[in-house]
Amino acid sequence: MTSVVSPEWVLKVEQLGKIFGSLSENGLALTGPDIGSSKDPVTGAIVAAWDVSFEVAAGEALGVVGESGSGKSTVMRCIAGDQSSSAGSVQIRTSPNEQIDVLSLTPSERRQLRIDKIAVVYQDPAEGLDLNVTAGGNIASPLTAAGWRNFSSIRSRASELLLRTEVPLNRMDDVVKSFSGGMKQRVQLAKALANRPPIVLLDEPTTGLDASVAAGVLDLIRGLLEEFGLAAVVVSHDFSVIEMLTNRCIVMNHGRVVESALTDQLLEDPHHPYSQKLVSAARA
Amino acid sequence: MSHSTNAFDQVVLDVRNLRKQFVLHTIDSRIVEALNGVSLKVSAGEHVALAGTSGAGKSSLLKSIYRTYKPTSGEVFLKLDDDSFVDLISLTDSELATLRGTQIGYVSQFLRAQPRRSTFEIVTKAGIQRGMNSDTAKQAAAYSLQRLNLDEALWDVSASMLSGGEKQRVNLAAGTISPPRLLLLDEPVSALDPVNRESALELIGTLTDQGVAVLAVFHDIDAMERLASRVIVLRNGVVDYEGSPKETLERLEGVAR
Repeated sequence: MTSVVSPEWVLKVEQLGKIFGSLSENGLALTGPDIGSSKDPVTGAIVAAWDVSFEVAAGEALGVVGESGSGKSTVMRCIAGDQSSSAGSVQIRTSPNEQIDVLSLTPSERRQLRIDKIAVVYQDPAEGLDLNVTAGGNIASPLTAAGWRNFSSIRSRASELLLRTEVPLNRMDDVVKSFSGGMKQRVQLAKALANRPPIVLLDEPTTGLDASVAAGVLDLIRGLLEEFGLAAVVVSHDFSVIEMLTNRCIVMNHGRVVESALTDQLLEDPHHPYSQKLVSAARA
Repeated sequence: MSHSTNAFDQVVLDVRNLRKQFVLHTIDSRIVEALNGVSLKVSAGEHVALAGTSGAGKSSLLKSIYRTYKPTSGEVFLKLDDDSFVDLISLTDSELATLRGTQIGYVSQFLRAQPRRSTFEIVTKAGIQRGMNSDTAKQAAAYSLQRLNLDEALWDVSASMLSGGEKQRVNLAAGTISPPRLLLLDEPVSALDPVNRESALELIGTLTDQGVAVLAVFHDIDAMERLASRVIVLRNGVVDYEGSPKETLERLEGVAR
């Protein structure tokens, strides 16, 4: 080993911004953490996220923390393509000679990206799954989208994934709406990993689950991130989730990044007033 | 990792004028000074013990070097495998995260391992993170846990179910498996009974023979006397005085009496 090597990014977000409505001339200066609002007082436009930048390498998980309305999920949705963005760039690099400028893609190219490059796990299983379809059918959909045609190989890949995410195989042909919350999240994970994407975005993946169920899902996620060397972005307001899954984080407040730090440093030595408030509230 | 004998007098850690202040925004932006300009060096194969009263800055210094605390100013140079030095303070978060896994170990008083993961897995993973292959890491983990007398019945038990002293031994085993270039120890044996403490101290003693640079905080003078090649006494966030264990500890005990 020679000098310190910075790990190569797989996902790079630069100055990403999302504004709802039209901003007044000084709209950016009139919003943000220092002002304590993300609403432009002149036009009423909302600066949901602005000037958000970070990089994530393979095998690394970045946490995005902040309270509800801070812009965490907006950032994730802009990366995933669930939402259009107003500014900035999102690049993904899955091999040395393949770099994709995500925001310049056409809608159909972006959908393609979601099949085998960027997977998303949502807090609400209804967003990531078709609840009226069976577990096996949900997993088959990204596989067929990726060109799988042989029924028995799709079945066997689906069982492999369900096995890995600890969903009993005898539930494979049951519709997902009959599943418990924790099990739905496991099916979402199985579906997300179907085509071995290099990047996974997790939006509050355990929020709303019972503590014991959440613990099991978290353990599973942690194992999957390690096993597949995924580049992950974990959006959560829950510091125990962040502490368990990530080693670096950014803190968002009123649409802006107020601090980026190593996770242990954020928890023990937060710098920004908002981070200090957030950490002390979580640790009290 | 092999070290030539002359490598042992080589500086591994070079801390220069390190300052750390906390600005407590939640309490009227009060400023708390933890370190007021600490400078010290630790060489390969050297065990330096930090002494001083509570609040002198011992733990703050270890955390600032590891960057769990983000230093306010100063430099922390660490020697790398190619003999170049890097200032840990100036690294990006992801560069530092990489170095932590391979070059710098930190064993605190408390186990900070992931919950619901078995004892054996925690120690094995630490070895793999430092570049051991899976089989070697398993063997080394078993050796290390045996050496610290951790009952084999507890190896497949989740670490969160262990007692304080058992956790501390798991922590120590993980921190010392395939020892890193620099090891920071913060009261690593504080919860151990005399017998287990003995084997833990013995294990820590062997690290210096392997060329590890150790910077440690122990609350008991006996451990410092046995392990340290040098003692640095901190007071109010600066180095007060330093010297051989014998002279510094006599002076410390004199103050205590």
